[in-house]
Amino acid sequence: MRRTILVILAALVAVIALGSAVIATGGDSSTVTRPRLERSLTTTFTNLYVTTAHLRGRDITAASLNAQAMCDKAGAENKDIGPGGDWNCLMSWTDPEVPMPPEGYGKFELNVHSNDCYTAGGPSKLTGFLTMTDTQGRVVTNPLFEFDGCFDADSDNTPTGVVYPSLLAVASTVVTPDSNGNASLQVTCGSGDQGCSGTIAVAAGDTNLGTMPIDLAEESTTTVPLPGKVPTSASEITFTVHARTGFGPLSPVTLPVQAP
Amino acid sequence: MSATTTSPLNTVEATSDTTRRAGLFAPLRWEVRKLRAQYRAKAVLLGAVVLPIIIVVVIHGQSRPPKDTLFGRFATVNGFALALLVLGFAAQWVIPLLTAVVAGDIFASEDQHGTWKTVLTRSTSRGSLFWAKTLTTAGFAVLVLVVLATATIASSVLIVGHQPLIGLSGQTIPATEALRLVALSWAVMLPPMLGFTCLAILLSVWSRNPAVGIAAPVVIGMVMQLVGAVGGVEAIRPFLLTTPFEAWHGLFADPRFTGPLSQGLLTSAAWCALSLGAAFAMLRRRDITGG
Repeated sequence: MRRTILVILAALVAVIALGSAVIATGGDSSTVTRPRLERSLTTTFTNLYVTTAHLRGRDITAASLNAQAMCDKAGAENKDIGPGGDWNCLMSWTDPEVPMPPEGYGKFELNVHSNDCYTAGGPSKLTGFLTMTDTQGRVVTNPLFEFDGCFDADSDNTPTGVVYPSLLAVASTVVTPDSNGNASLQVTCGSGDQGCSGTIAVAAGDTNLGTMPIDLAEESTTTVPLPGKVPTSASEITFTVHARTGFGPLSPVTLPVQAP
Repeated sequence: MSATTTSPLNTVEATSDTTRRAGLFAPLRWEVRKLRAQYRAKAVLLGAVVLPIIIVVVIHGQSRPPKDTLFGRFATVNGFALALLVLGFAAQWVIPLLTAVVAGDIFASEDQHGTWKTVLTRSTSRGSLFWAKTLTTAGFAVLVLVVLATATIASSVLIVGHQPLIGLSGQTIPATEALRLVALSWAVMLPPMLGFTCLAILLSVWSRNPAVGIAAPVVIGMVMQLVGAVGGVEAIRPFLLTTPFEAWHGLFADPRFTGPLSQGLLTSAAWCALSLGAAFAMLRRRDITGG
């Protein structure tokens, strides 16, 4: 009995020693890296896009699609390495029938496992819904809606150099001033390179309320106070975004004023 | 000329060779005979035939595919995808269990029945008895894997169909190539499976308890799977015996990669050598005098 306990204890000690040695060497040894993911995702996506196009009766070649991706793990301060469900990949491709949105890319959400396999889901505006109708009128699973892929842990790990700007957006849907006329606006900055910065000009009808500077890290949300007091008579406020880094809305955003 | 001079040597070698072979062959025949009489081994083989067929029929009847597992997305409409889905599931704990049922019991049952003295008084050494038991379990592992793989692949292809398969780089794999790759994927389960066989033998010898010999490898396998899935400790993944169970993924990528396969072969061989070495040392030095 004592022998058994000793053996179990020795095994436990060995496991703990090995585990702490591994943790001490750091978590950067992961084979899940940004360049590998970017290359694998574009290859898998391209192959599936061509297959899906054939199902729809269209003829597209992989070369004409020219898919490119930029991947990013969980915000600005995290290193882009290691498995997790917090990988975002921005991908652009060329299909005359499916134009890209103004920012030039679609956002894919990836769940990457430690075994170098991942599941990716794309924007359904660009890649379609769970099922689709093929040329023979049958309802089939849309291969692009969600897809799995695996990559080689020994594959090329040099950066691809593909970057896309973050999408800067106004998140508030109404402006709610307090009794003194002070109000604030919520803005978000999506995943992308370098975050979002610039200015937002605020106007209530013809009255200029001034401009406010913004500077956000990627994948973050902030609430900025409006530079001037909202006039009591105002029913709408117009925000004109000038993005220096990041991609802002092209036309001014008009929000209704909600009485306090 | 040289044949006449070396002929006495040859005779000596031949005789020693035959005695050694007989020394291993007799207990091997006996162990196989004992295994064939075992109700449990027959039940495992029967299960390896029947269970995959049931699983295939049930999954084929589902309206929603099991998307959480690799190849699950197309499992209800593609026979090859379904065979690979079953493979991924089997690797989690079914394969370690199937081999441990025999390997975890073959040494410990002698303790349980108090028959060590009886078998060792037959003119066989501990060494040849050890290798006879090990070979028997390895042979059973191969047999049960072949049966399980054949039942799974045949039933999925016959029931669901043999459509072209979408691989892990999004490429379309033609049916004949897909069949070859699916069979190969099942075949490369053998090294880690034999690794678990050796581990079960070690636990069987060490614990002298069939329950430990059968259950512990399965539990250890699940713990290794859990550790392997945790982020941040990926440096130990190559040393885990469960990692080779996922090495087949590379066969379905484009370009194909086989690094994990050769790494898995090394890992499995190392686990097997260490386990068998420890088990053999324990058995050799054990004092077998009691019941």
